[in-house]
Amino acid sequence: MDLFLQLFFNGLTNGSYYALLGVGFGLIFATTKIVHFAYGPIFACAAYAAWWAASLGVPLPLAGVFAVAVAAVLGVASFLVIYRPIQVRGAPGLVALIASLGLFILLENLLGIVFGAGNKVIENVNYDVFFLGPVFFTSIHLWQIASLAILGGALFLFLRYTRFGKAIVAMTDNREMAEIIGIDTTRMAIAVFAIGSALSAVPAVLILLKDGATTHMGFQAVFMAFVTVVVGGIGSIRGAVVGGFALGLVQSLGLWKIPTEWQSSIAFVVLFLILVARPQGLFGASRL
Amino acid sequence: MSRTDSAAAAAETASGTEVVLAVRGLGAGYGRKRVVHDVSLALGEREVLLMLGHNGAGKTTLLRAIFGLGKPMGGSVSYHGRDITGRKAAENVTDGLAYVPQGHGVFRTLSVADNLELGGFVEPRSALLAERRERVFELFPILAERRSQTAGTLSGGQQQMLAIGMALMHEPRVILLDEPSIGLAPNLVERVMQAVVTINRTMGVAILMVEQNVQLSLPIAQRALVLKTGAVVYDGPPDPLRDHVELMKLF
Ligand SMILES: Nc1ncnc2c1ncn2[C@@H]1O[C@H](COP(=O)(O)OP(=O)(O)OP(=O)(O)O)[C@@H](O)[C@H]1O
Ligand SMILES: [Mg+2]
Repeated sequence: MDLFLQLFFNGLTNGSYYALLGVGFGLIFATTKIVHFAYGPIFACAAYAAWWAASLGVPLPLAGVFAVAVAAVLGVASFLVIYRPIQVRGAPGLVALIASLGLFILLENLLGIVFGAGNKVIENVNYDVFFLGPVFFTSIHLWQIASLAILGGALFLFLRYTRFGKAIVAMTDNREMAEIIGIDTTRMAIAVFAIGSALSAVPAVLILLKDGATTHMGFQAVFMAFVTVVVGGIGSIRGAVVGGFALGLVQSLGLWKIPTEWQSSIAFVVLFLILVARPQGLFGASRL
Repeated sequence: MSRTDSAAAAAETASGTEVVLAVRGLGAGYGRKRVVHDVSLALGEREVLLMLGHNGAGKTTLLRAIFGLGKPMGGSVSYHGRDITGRKAAENVTDGLAYVPQGHGVFRTLSVADNLELGGFVEPRSALLAERRERVFELFPILAERRSQTAGTLSGGQQQMLAIGMALMHEPRVILLDEPSIGLAPNLVERVMQAVVTINRTMGVAILMVEQNVQLSLPIAQRALVLKTGAVVYDGPPDPLRDHVELMKLF
């Protein structure tokens, strides 16, 4: 039972992590219809940016802000430099997908060239350790949950209640109609790339603090974001949150009965089963 | 039957009113395929200009090109005498030119109220928007009743009313209206045509309307235009087109 509780808690924290990644990735996809695989290495760049700043003696919160800025700039740049010229030429979606994979490889290799291989960790991070009955956790775990609640909640309110946010939702619903009523869809896409990428920087910094950064950490991040979004339903924040938790819990609780080496395959199995049962995802796109 | 090519000649037929929207020699299409050839037309102030034509004649393509969606292939569009060829939709909307696309141009996942609010997206002053929304509700009371309903769950007729309502939220001077009667039951078509009349007569909006329902749309038009395989084959008073035989010749 104690093990179950611990695994359940781990599932919740991992689920929050996946959910936040999914929210950012899903926002970009739903609005621009771009499968932005380079989301992964940009997430990694954010972690490296925070590590680099911290290694220069920048206080941790400021290093985090720097990471957010780096991710936002890289996200916007990838849209303006790579995706937008492709979209303007009216190329099929597959072209943007391939470009995104190319960008993925490019950024990951660049990270390796600039920072070298090996795990980057921030030395002497002090975090609190808690015991709640049999469950062990640290303040970083709490931050993972809190960051989802705060940022996911803020994004939800922004999209639901502000003029600008509603325009983004409108574009998700019907891009051409959005243009017809005078929404500048290019400006919205830039905003969405900035917001989505900035969101990914937060879990990136938390993972840096928890496990350190490696050049290939982006793959797992974008893969989990992708599965989360497909499971939850594209274009739905609630969907991404439920999808993230579902994935985190199934993966973690799976360890209770299934050997560890199967852990990453569990995500595939969940994805497959849900897509067979509900091809539109748990929520579908009809609800924010 | 008069074949009119120049906008100037068309302007004369516009019952002497000033031309608000003039199209000269406009071409449009998709990729390399040209669908609309050398079309000229003029829309007079406070006029309802009806555009008829067979399926695939290029009516939608023409309206889109006028509104700046898709690159025009030659020719020009001017609005109040200023060249607006290929201008961004956002600028058109700010400038009083609205487009209601074919087939219920609404945001299906959003509420009626949100759709209307978005219709006024280019106008940041919310007090103005509230006024305009009240006018839309007066014109289409059903939308007021259904304001919190998701647009995708409205009936076809209600969606068409909402689409027109969204255009009215820009407070346009000109509306390009693409087949508002498509897929509607006859009594609803009448209801929509009445609304078009109100928008034209009481709000003074000039309307370029594409229609297939000749019977119900001809009586409200001051002038009619027939498009055949991308070219104008008739531009003149609507009355001669009431004659079935005359129409058959044109299609
Ligand atoms: N997106 C597109 N890509 C390529 N060809 C198109 C596209 N849209 C329309 N066409 C073609 O252009 C021609 C004109 O189409 P358009 O939609 O303008 O006709 P329409 O007069 O509006 O017809 P309808 O009365 O059926 O709405 C048709 O032959 C159509 O097949
Ligand atoms: Mg059409």
